[in-house]
Amino acid sequence: MPSITRTVFSLIVINKAGGLIYQREFQPGLRKLSTNDYLVLAGTFHGVHAITRSITPKIPIAQPAPSPATSSPSATAPTASGYSYPNPGVPVTGLDYLETDKFRLTCFQTLTGTKFLLFTDPLTGNVENIVQKIYELYADYVMKNPFYQLEMPVRIRLVHILVSGDDSVSYTKTTHFSRTIERTQQGGSRIQDKQK
Amino acid sequence: MVVYSFYIFDRHGKNPIFIAITQLTVSSGMHLQTPLATAPGLHLRSTDDDSKLVFGTVFSLRNMVRKLGGDDDRALLSFVSFTTSQYKLHYYETPTNTKFVMLTDLKSPSMRIALQQIYINLFVEYVVKNPLSPTEHTGGVGVNNELFEQSLEQFVL
Repeated sequence: MPSITRTVFSLIVINKAGGLIYQREFQPGLRKLSTNDYLVLAGTFHGVHAITRSITPKIPIAQPAPSPATSSPSATAPTASGYSYPNPGVPVTGLDYLETDKFRLTCFQTLTGTKFLLFTDPLTGNVENIVQKIYELYADYVMKNPFYQLEMPVRIRLVHILVSGDDSVSYTKTTHFSRTIERTQQGGSRIQDKQK
Repeated sequence: MVVYSFYIFDRHGKNPIFIAITQLTVSSGMHLQTPLATAPGLHLRSTDDDSKLVFGTVFSLRNMVRKLGGDDDRALLSFVSFTTSQYKLHYYETPTNTKFVMLTDLKSPSMRIALQQIYINLFVEYVVKNPLSPTEHTGGVGVNNELFEQSLEQFVL
């Protein structure tokens, strides 16, 4: 009884410099790219994210309203507080959601600049909660790992073992991160898989 | 719903062939677009750094989406819109790679149909079917068609 569609295609974590530090596919649906392509994708998205922030429309505050005749001298001297953003009070962010026919991309940027990109089905709801949960797991299992080097890829040496279901190998903290994320993503779907 | 700006790029994308700024905006270079300050309605600007950034953004995102989206009907797959905390960017690309981009506020619904209508009812009718209109907009003159601009103004506002 799958009442809520909760399809998560993949997760990408980008560090604050635009480098790919984690990539994981959960369910098929998107095309598989090579590792190099994922690195390019992460870098491209990092740049695009910054640009989308800078092209935010700026609405001038109405009070100066110079007439067209006097516009040319005043054009060079706008006041520093001459404009406001469409949503004043809300911090300006870059791309948050990207909607396509095939998938929906949710980007969550932490205060430190790490970006979590979650590719989901367009109909998947409650994506914010999933992303928030992933962030928690990242904080718990990656950032609190004393052996994790900052800004470096999250090592997932045992991923193939986990996918194949062989639990006999001892886990590192980071593989535990992958496992727990997988459980969060798939929810009940694992049980269904076992029933098959 | 507020439409902040509207761009049309041809398949080369080097120069936008049409830009309309409905809300008066200050470009990132901190100079007011004052000649347009008082007149209501659509305002036209010849060139702008913002348009290049907008083109770069939609170009990169479109390629990214095409790469990730599956193999079937890839030619037509592209993104519909994206949202930041401040604005929403709607995107529509015709089969001939003419790109229609519209920046609106967050409350606006999906503008895919509207952009399609602009293409079918206005762009094709007034620009493409105009025998005097060049097929390639290389000189940076852009659409420069009063009838198109007027009807777009009616459509958008």
